[in-house]
Amino acid sequence: MLITCPYCGPRDVIEFTYQGDGNRQRPQPASQDLDAWNAYVYDRLNPAGDHNEIWQHSGGCRAHLRVVRNTLTHEISSSGFARGDHKAARHKLEAKS
Amino acid sequence: MVERQSPIEPELHPGSHGNFEHGVEIILTETRPGSILQLAAWPGEEKRLMAGIRTVTGLALPDGAGGGIADGVKAVFGFAPGKFTVVDDAEGLASAFAGVITPAIGTVTDLSHGRTAIRIAGPKAEWVLAKFFAIDFALPAFPVGAGRSTTHHDVFAQIQRTGADQFDIYVFRSFARSFWKALCHASEEVGYEVQ
Amino acid sequence: MSPRRAETGGRIDRLRTIRFTFDGTPYTGYAGDTLASALLANGVTLFGRSFKYHRPRGVLTAGVEEPNALVTVLRGEVREPNIAATMVEIYDGLVAVSQNRFPSLAWDVNAINQLGGKILSAGFYYKTFMGPVIGPLKGTRFWMFCEHFIRRAAGLGRAGTTADPERYERMNAFCDVLVVGSGPAGLMAARAAADQGQRVILCELEPNFGGSANWSRETIDGTPAADWAARAIGQLEGHDNVRLLPRTTVWGYYDGNTLAALERVTDHKEAPARGEPRHRYWAIRARSVVLATGSFERPLVFPGNDRPGVMLAHASERYANEYGVLPGDRIALFTNNDSAYRSALALKNAGAAIVAIIDVRQELSGEMRKLATEAEAEILSAHAVVATEGGKALSGLKVQRFDMVSGALTGDARSIHADCLLMSGGWSPTIHLASQAGASAEWDAARQAFLPPRPTQKWVGAGAFTGSFSTAEAIAEGRTAGLSAAGATGAPTALPVVEGAPGDPDPAPVFEIKAKGKSFVDFQHDVTAEDVRLAHREGFVSVEHLKRYTTLGMATDQGKSSNVPGLAIMAEALGKPIPEVGTTRFRPPYSAVSIGSLAAERFGDLKPERLTPMHDWHIANGATMYSAGLWYRPMIYGLAGETIEQAYVREAKATRDSAGIVDVSTLGKIAVQGPDAAEFLDRVYTNMFSTLAVGKARYGLMLREDGLAFDDGTTWRLGEQDFLMTTTTANAGKVMQHLEYFLDVIWPELKVTVTSVTDEWAGAAIGGPNARAILAACVKGTAVDNATLPFMGIVRGEIADVPVMICRLSFSGEMAFEVYSGAGYGTHVWEALIGAGKPFGLVTYGLEALGTMRIEKGHVTGAEIDGRTTARDLHLDWMLSKKKPFIGSAMMDREGLIAPDRLQLVGLVSLDNRPLNGGAHIVEELDEANPHDSIGHITACCYSPALGKHIALALVSGGKARHGTRAFVSDPLRNRFGPIEIVSNHFYDPDGSRMHG
Repeated sequence: MLITCPYCGPRDVIEFTYQGDGNRQRPQPASQDLDAWNAYVYDRLNPAGDHNEIWQHSGGCRAHLRVVRNTLTHEISSSGFARGDHKAARHKLEAKS
Repeated sequence: MVERQSPIEPELHPGSHGNFEHGVEIILTETRPGSILQLAAWPGEEKRLMAGIRTVTGLALPDGAGGGIADGVKAVFGFAPGKFTVVDDAEGLASAFAGVITPAIGTVTDLSHGRTAIRIAGPKAEWVLAKFFAIDFALPAFPVGAGRSTTHHDVFAQIQRTGADQFDIYVFRSFARSFWKALCHASEEVGYEVQ
Repeated sequence: MSPRRAETGGRIDRLRTIRFTFDGTPYTGYAGDTLASALLANGVTLFGRSFKYHRPRGVLTAGVEEPNALVTVLRGEVREPNIAATMVEIYDGLVAVSQNRFPSLAWDVNAINQLGGKILSAGFYYKTFMGPVIGPLKGTRFWMFCEHFIRRAAGLGRAGTTADPERYERMNAFCDVLVVGSGPAGLMAARAAADQGQRVILCELEPNFGGSANWSRETIDGTPAADWAARAIGQLEGHDNVRLLPRTTVWGYYDGNTLAALERVTDHKEAPARGEPRHRYWAIRARSVVLATGSFERPLVFPGNDRPGVMLAHASERYANEYGVLPGDRIALFTNNDSAYRSALALKNAGAAIVAIIDVRQELSGEMRKLATEAEAEILSAHAVVATEGGKALSGLKVQRFDMVSGALTGDARSIHADCLLMSGGWSPTIHLASQAGASAEWDAARQAFLPPRPTQKWVGAGAFTGSFSTAEAIAEGRTAGLSAAGATGAPTALPVVEGAPGDPDPAPVFEIKAKGKSFVDFQHDVTAEDVRLAHREGFVSVEHLKRYTTLGMATDQGKSSNVPGLAIMAEALGKPIPEVGTTRFRPPYSAVSIGSLAAERFGDLKPERLTPMHDWHIANGATMYSAGLWYRPMIYGLAGETIEQAYVREAKATRDSAGIVDVSTLGKIAVQGPDAAEFLDRVYTNMFSTLAVGKARYGLMLREDGLAFDDGTTWRLGEQDFLMTTTTANAGKVMQHLEYFLDVIWPELKVTVTSVTDEWAGAAIGGPNARAILAACVKGTAVDNATLPFMGIVRGEIADVPVMICRLSFSGEMAFEVYSGAGYGTHVWEALIGAGKPFGLVTYGLEALGTMRIEKGHVTGAEIDGRTTARDLHLDWMLSKKKPFIGSAMMDREGLIAPDRLQLVGLVSLDNRPLNGGAHIVEELDEANPHDSIGHITACCYSPALGKHIALALVSGGKARHGTRAFVSDPLRNRFGPIEIVSNHFYDPDGSRMHG
């Protein structure tokens, strides 16, 4: 599998570390809403199809990427820096579901 | 002045090795630069940081991911978004940057001891490096001056192409001996010389 | 007669004689021969014994799909089993032996299995190894005993036990167009792509490029096809954007157009050149791929179709035209399609007599009749072979009238005298890679074959791979595919003109002749047509189940010749058309791959390892090293005659009595820099760091998001915006990723840089009552007294002219200091400290003594921070700030995490004065026969020289409330039971007076 790092270009998956479901929303640090925390820590979407994921290019520039990967075909339809484009990636996924 | 110890020294055997009867196609050296720094700019401050690098080193960084330049004494290249490695044969580069890269621009981290620089040169340099790293070493994909961050198993490496068939590889010091041995091993089939 | 070498012909080098042995008998062949062609040329017909029945087997094919002629190749002490003789290039001194026979190939005692064919039927293993369920042997291990012998009798070659001394390498390659297969289609594709300036890699699994051009005897552009191919290769060699890889099998097609290939670099050589690897594993990332992998000829299924002397028709053509070898003198052919007629003519031209062409079809074209006439062969149309005769070589066959539609055999059997029977059951495109790449194959009724699926990755097919079996089509499709892979259209140009034998590519839909006797479908696993029907009768109707129950297609050849006939027979049994039965998906590898090539350089001496700056000093000074992850660390510095325990007890005791020094360079070190560094640390640590003064250090604890403990260490404030964080050795990488994740994904607004500086600093920890005096003796530029360097203080100075940072902190419970210097000065500073310590009896100590002193002091490490414990469990709740939120703060107080019966950290003292074991359970009541009701377990243990007792740290349910009570260790695996006392984990100097001094 190849993942395209926006800085380094397409690289083999061995250079990347999966850093979890990209749909998680971390509550405000001071939040006492245990349900929200529980959802953030434990709930995962696990779709059969396009999935919003976070990968770190740990064997390269070490940037975190938001990657939309099809869990059935491994096809990656988009990848970009995790910094800054938080909202855009979510909209894309919600529009599909 | 106390001399810095090389982590490779006990495994560095000058001379020709491997299948060299028909000539060596690889030359391996430890370049032992005096200064290796890592510079990081806050988002939006990259241009000011690059200007600072130019002020201190005289090297004008090209724009773009992994852009870099080397003049034989100093070298600089981008290895991550907003991050650059700056190398100088002389020691003390960190203090030269102290007043230039202000906290408003970014940070300077001295890695002069923490990284080991290995140069691989020769017509088979791309061939030997392809045994280690899953990146494209062909000249159009990896131009002279450019930098890359990649990994060989657990060995992180920053690589700058400093010539058509010459690459400078920066690895963590603790891995340097192990990586050097592997590099020598991989170079045996084409014949190599350690300088 | 036997097979023999023709006087002329073939592409072998008759001037270079090669000497080799097979089963100890010396033979000669010519350069360019395979083991199969050379043995055939020497009249050898018997190559091996079959898997289950030990039937004599010859050579069926001429290529990678060979199921029968498997041999073991010996190189010195190293043996490599199960290699197809058709793929072994001979070299001087080659030693090959046959397999699965005892005592010899010709006289094999297990051939008696042929008589017990009924017992060894489909599902044999499943039925047999259940063991008797009734009778006197019920419930005994009798079948386990028998299984040993049965398994020994069935099987393939025997693997060696000698370590493989060969070198294997991995290679990464990138290209625009990867062409797999170098027949006319592949050559055209490679040339078309190369002419567009594309970076091209051309892989050919055989030694020679050219594929069918090497043996088809066609002409292309007026020259023999083989010469045309050689010229095309010559042109490709002239391009510096083309890499040609012969002897390279592309065996895996993975996601993202990543392909795996195995290059056999030296298998054909007497000895490798210096540094030359035996195999190279190529990981190829291709922008697009041209699959020109050709097709396999299928056997027909009829009784005795496995007898030596029965061969695929095209294979005989290859032996005649490529190697100048005649597989027989009186040759018969049995076919359901036109391609065999060309084979007949080729064998005739090479000097054999073609006695008959037996064709299942009634209607034959005029063209085929003409070819048969040219071959001087009698045609028996609407006939089928119903039996073969002979022992270890074919002597004749029987044919009967055959009705293709009903499958009925009528009339008297006629005997035909022949020493070779060639069969052709049609052709199957080699779609393995396309199947691996995605969707499933589609059945084509005309071709009677599975054709490649629609691409789900970036590949294009060409030639026989697509079901276009003629060379003219291959050439046209090859060029188009090459251009399309290159992203070009290209102006129409004249294509090379092909002259060759005509033929209809569509075979008759006949796979099996049902007559009495064993008819083999899978030659290598000895699966017969009857086995397939038996599996169906027993209810295995899914093709996936059929495969596993009968083991059809599961041998080393992976069913290259057997898949389609097997499916056809199953379809007939089910009364369904073949496409409804479906086919199994091909998985990598396409053909056998050496394990060595997969392990490649991450093996033995070349495994990456991490060494501290003082590594060589430790070795030179008698340290026994211990691998901790990738790091190597001193375990003990043993004196002559000392046991490990004696050494660490001596080292720990000397440290507490005077002073000891240990290399702590492996501790993870992370530079945390920037205007928001203090704020960031407040968020990631449970305690406050923004309040830490410059020049001071603080012990910190991190939790995970779920509230469980993650890592601990000290962090030093070197400047207002400059911190040096230390982590445990094992967690350094994980902590780094944790910090990077929060900075990049959660709090991108924080201006903080984190950098791994583990390797920048050499660290030496010196502790003990005399530690300060030793430092005072060698440090310049700063005082180290209590006022200048209080507990958790940091000073900068020099040792032996080298700048150092010294932080006063303690892990051992003694007055202790960590001395950091640039890694390149590490040994220099270390030696200066050792020199200064000499008058004080300073000892060097290793991980064992370090562990001992930390257990005595009750400090936690990774053994206790095991991903299940909370800060409270470890009595670190004093570090949980109430003034700020931090990672894990919201989740750490959940009900289950604050329950009073949780496993909590305690100390244990052995009351029977015997050693305790890590992992041993703690119980309230001892029951050695039936251990039960564990209340916890030991995480770390040692003999404590300070206490003179065997002690341990443990996690015990409700542990704190149990201080002062007694319990037992229960360790049935190591047969260690005994009384213990549960105490506080702070065994030694609980009020800290020694380290605060």
